[in-house]
Amino acid sequence: MKRYILFFLSFVLLFALSGLVVGQSKGELLIKNATVMTATRGTLQATDILIRDSEIVRIGKGLTAGSGAKVIDATGKYVTPGIIDAHSHSMLSAINEGALSVTSMTRTRDMLDPSDIAIYRALAGGVTTALLLHGSANPIGGQSTTVKFKWGRPVEDYPIAGAPASIKFALGENVKRASFTPQPGQTVRYPRTRMGTMETIRDAFRRARDYKQAWDDYRAKKTKVPPRTDEELQPLVEILEGNRIVHCHGYRSDEHLNVLRMAEEFGFKVGTLQHGLEAYKIAPEIARHGAGVSIFTDSWSYKLEAYDAIPYNAYILWKNGVNVSINSDSDERMRRLNLDAAKVMKYGGVPEEDALKMITINPAKQLGIDKRTGSVEQGKDADLVIWTGHPFSAFSRPDVTMIEGEIFFDRAVDAQKRTEMAKEREGLEKLDVNKAPGTGGTPPRIPAERRRGERDEAEFVIDGGNR
Amino acid sequence: MKLRLSLIALAAIGSVFSLSGFSQSYSITNARIVTVSGATIEKGTVVIRDGLIEAVGADVKAPADAQVFDGTGLTVYPGFIDALTNLGLAAPARRTTPTGPGGGQAAAAAALAAAPSSNSTYPAGLRPEEVTLDDVRAGDAQFEANRNAGFTAALTTGRTGIFNGQSALISLSGDSVASMTVKSPVALHITFNTIPGTYPGSLLGTFSALRQMFNDARRHDQLLKMYAANPRGMKRPDADKSLEALIPALNRQIPVVFTANLENEIVRALDLAKEYNLRTIIAGGQEAGKFADRLKAQDAAVILSLNFPKRTAAASPDADPESLQTLRLRAETPKTAGKLAAAGVKFAFQGGGATSVNDFLANTVKATENGLSKDAAVRAMTLGAAEIFGVGDRLGSVEAGKIANLTVVKGDLFGTQKTITHVFIDGKPFEPKPIPRTEGPGGRGPRAGGPVSTALPDVGGTYSINIQAPGQALTGTLTLVQQGGTLTGTMVTELGTSPLKDGRVTAEGMSFGGSVVFGGQAIDFTVRATVTGNQMSGTVDSPQGAIPITGTKNP
Repeated sequence: MKRYILFFLSFVLLFALSGLVVGQSKGELLIKNATVMTATRGTLQATDILIRDSEIVRIGKGLTAGSGAKVIDATGKYVTPGIIDAHSHSMLSAINEGALSVTSMTRTRDMLDPSDIAIYRALAGGVTTALLLHGSANPIGGQSTTVKFKWGRPVEDYPIAGAPASIKFALGENVKRASFTPQPGQTVRYPRTRMGTMETIRDAFRRARDYKQAWDDYRAKKTKVPPRTDEELQPLVEILEGNRIVHCHGYRSDEHLNVLRMAEEFGFKVGTLQHGLEAYKIAPEIARHGAGVSIFTDSWSYKLEAYDAIPYNAYILWKNGVNVSINSDSDERMRRLNLDAAKVMKYGGVPEEDALKMITINPAKQLGIDKRTGSVEQGKDADLVIWTGHPFSAFSRPDVTMIEGEIFFDRAVDAQKRTEMAKEREGLEKLDVNKAPGTGGTPPRIPAERRRGERDEAEFVIDGGNR
Repeated sequence: MKLRLSLIALAAIGSVFSLSGFSQSYSITNARIVTVSGATIEKGTVVIRDGLIEAVGADVKAPADAQVFDGTGLTVYPGFIDALTNLGLAAPARRTTPTGPGGGQAAAAAALAAAPSSNSTYPAGLRPEEVTLDDVRAGDAQFEANRNAGFTAALTTGRTGIFNGQSALISLSGDSVASMTVKSPVALHITFNTIPGTYPGSLLGTFSALRQMFNDARRHDQLLKMYAANPRGMKRPDADKSLEALIPALNRQIPVVFTANLENEIVRALDLAKEYNLRTIIAGGQEAGKFADRLKAQDAAVILSLNFPKRTAAASPDADPESLQTLRLRAETPKTAGKLAAAGVKFAFQGGGATSVNDFLANTVKATENGLSKDAAVRAMTLGAAEIFGVGDRLGSVEAGKIANLTVVKGDLFGTQKTITHVFIDGKPFEPKPIPRTEGPGGRGPRAGGPVSTALPDVGGTYSINIQAPGQALTGTLTLVQQGGTLTGTMVTELGTSPLKDGRVTAEGMSFGGSVVFGGQAIDFTVRATVTGNQMSGTVDSPQGAIPITGTKNP
């Protein structure tokens, strides 16, 4: 008996020890002497941040960490919350299901590609979190995924556990296939007008109501035969019940007003109006509904419905009390969202902290993850960027980008990895399987992105499909 | 001499009498026998009678009525199994050459319309009820190249659609499909394709469409049971054969084979399979080694492709360097089999559409040089495959009572000097013709598979090509390797490198398919072209339309 107890005790001890080891390995991290732009509680000079087990545990002066803690001296450097991009299509193997007008059954979660180099480049630009949206080919598009860019981790580590479900809606030119000429033998997809678009959305919600009714009846044992589990209508029921956020792509203010009214008619609230280049025209109406707006600061005129834009859009919305975020909708622009935020200080004079909010806590609220991330606050996830200088300066760059206390981008490590990878490449290129057969032949032409003068056009064709 | 004459006489009598049920018997004596299921017999005899293995052992004597093959210096293996092919199926139907703008769409619509008529409510490509065996043709000649390379049986399935057809395990010899069939259906096959011109038109939709069908099939199963228990007061469930075909997969009665080579594809397949609790087999599996533990945990098997990637096109100094990912993949793929074996994942081998059936053995050797034991390699080609397909009790090892599928090899199977001297299929002996040496890429001339018909044009070689895509003319290199009526190779353009699929050469010209990634989407294309002298011209057909392609053969 004694022996059993001893055996048991040794097990308990073993577990306790291993717990200790795990705790230590995740460890403490202390950022010393930084200028901390908290996004919610002002800018703190010469301040330390103590991180333990993925959380910010203390913010203050003269903090100390336990032995074995990693210490980063951030003297002369700035710390901000990790940037959040509320409109991205990065790391998706497919973006648009264009065959139907309602594609709420599709899930961007199925399409995540953790090998997309855009993830790493985003980290190098200080982005830690993004909303990965379906494209804008349909009045009701697919289900979106809220991810943290945990580069190098398996795909299942990317989606944020507990982040609210959401979905893409879209209005306007892309949806009515304005720049789409059907070829002979190809079917023309309904809707072809803006009024048809609204009808399509209303019809889908009516079907969703009937579907919900059928399940309610079945669960109340009023019917005997179980209804279908409908991948298309189930997400719409979740919207009606307030359990799925709608992110609605649109340009014209009349259309965005229409969708707000339609939502009120069906008894739900639109989460964000995406793009909203004319949102400044209806700022009070948007504020009254309670929707957020996610915009570009100064990108417009790339298509007809994108002409009536002004750079004061963010300022006017902010002045009216609307939650505004600045997004990228582009792998390339995502890397410098800090500068897009800086521009709203120039156009109209949004205060510095409110400008920073537009790429941090504001999008966090729009995505429903502001309890965990979006600001430098005690108790929140340590999603932080250490900048070489003020983040709104064109001369500043992220030195370190971390998610939940783990460093996913480090400029010094990056430089070292480049050398390692060059060496690896040299070795791999010597292998037989990687040698070209010696048959000559005409080499492929230089890729378009490296040919002078053709870059912008090619990019527009690809990007313009979703904007 | 006398003995040999009498043997021939006996064999002649035998073949006459076999028609009337005369018992047909063969013996391979003094051979090394790799039984796979048990220890290797260094010197022994295998007796075959009526299509089955009658006896195996060191002390077994050849019966008096048996035709005797002297196995001195030979090794007898269980017949090799190619675990995924399209053998026995007709080549894809030739579409009419589209003309003018929109021809591609029209042709795609026509191809859909021309798909076998079905009253299914699902579009062609989403019909899990389709059974590959219905399309298999009987006859020995079509399998000659495969038998010459030592193959006796193969899993065969369709090439197109999201559901590729329910596969069949067939013997590579037989006068009727009925007698060739070892097992059908073996598995439901899924490839993450799209359906041109309708939903699902993107990979996003493919997963949603599959999910909806599995949901509906689960409900259908429930309704059928309710109705069978008590039909009164209940509307009868639709007789939906598409959904019915999914029920055995949902109930784990048959496995689901997912075509998945790369990391993303494998993860997506395993995720979907887990969601619906499917018995899972991964086909292709180039990067399966990275997920060995997860495959083991999900009890998923792998039908590993031996078509190892290698660089096929020359690059110019101006071209972008290949990605590290591509370079790594080529270096790592031959190690996959070893990793799966080490983790205890069940696996079999498939040719994977390799240029030559002979690559199968050559690359099996390469796998053994990259961490796979020789025993495990032989097992993957024999009993391993049989077990994955649920026929391990009747096929895949040299044991009394099992189907007499045997491959007899002279020389070391894993060495450079080896010859397949005989194969036995359902007890019937075949003597392969000597296998001509394989030439390098771009090489021409007859290979295993018999002489090239003189009526076929010779199109092999490297072409500089020009594709008149609207807005941007694409240039590149097309490398064609012709082997009889089949065509393999690659097309390299600014949009990337596309391995060619379903390449065919006929008297009228050639055709092949492939896919490129553009704007994040895989776009399938088909090329039809003719070659006159050193000039090639034809059409590239894709959901985006039909566009002209021209080319000049490099000297």
